Amino acid sequence: MKDIVRQKIGINVDVMDLLNEQISKEAHSAAVYLAMASWCDHNGLVYSAEFFYKQSAEEREHMLKIFKFINENGGTAYSPEVSNINHEYNSLQEIFETALDQEIQITKSINNIVTKCRKVQDYGSENFLQWFVKEQMEEENQFRRILEMFDLMGTDGIALKLIDERIKHE
Amino acid sequence: MNLLYKSYYFASYQCDHSRSFYIDFGHKQVKLSFCQLLAIRQKVQAIDLSSHFDKDLNYSGIEILSLCNREHLFVFDTLQVIDLKQLLKATFGVLELNSLVAH
Ligand SMILES: [Fe+2]
Ligand SMILES: [Fe+2]
Repeated sequence: MKDIVRQKIGINVDVMDLLNEQISKEAHSAAVYLAMASWCDHNGLVYSAEFFYKQSAEEREHMLKIFKFINENGGTAYSPEVSNINHEYNSLQEIFETALDQEIQITKSINNIVTKCRKVQDYGSENFLQWFVKEQMEEENQFRRILEMFDLMGTDGIALKLIDERIKHE
Repeated sequence: MNLLYKSYYFASYQCDHSRSFYIDFGHKQVKLSFCQLLAIRQKVQAIDLSSHFDKDLNYSGIEILSLCNREHLFVFDTLQVIDLKQLLKATFGVLELNSLVAH
């Protein structure tokens, strides 16, 4: 019997499922960051708002990267549904903590797919995902750096303004 | 045509000659490209079986599936859905095994 599947698709089918789930997660991240941008805007934290608009756009880029990878290799990428977006936060610090937690979950999810790639010897997908492994380390570090500012400077009035100013350079 | 898997109600085949797949739904046999087979797999996987046991979520206990860009329309009851899930899982399992021995 011919191996028609392999002739049609260059990546493992189960890996494709996980990549489609990742598409949803990146889209969810993009939407969460947009909600955070809105909160910052409403609370007069202009630079933080700008920061989260940019983060949101980046997450959409990640989503597209995976989306195209699946389709280019003979699989089918599915346009994600996004729901359950929280708009309520108590502070900027809470926002950054939530953002870091979200990035950590994404890192775990990427690592999980890499593990699956190795198991089924889908080295093409693994190689593709290495970019995300590196990207996640950078993103986590960025949020960690920002949270350290809260540890150093506190969270009351003027400190908050100063932190917001600093985020401009992130 | 090579039989890939036969479940209680359905069966799947691969046709080397036309480089395509077939699913025999009992009353109707449908020819599928690999892409279309992937699409069915996705739709069947997405069916929430537990809703079939909840009167509020799925009152009639049936599932309506359109396949191949709405060329075909199917109505399945709960037992058929369970069987269909089994069919697709096993079919892709056999295809993966075939990949392993083919190379
Ligand atoms: Fe991302
Ligand atoms: Fe991210």
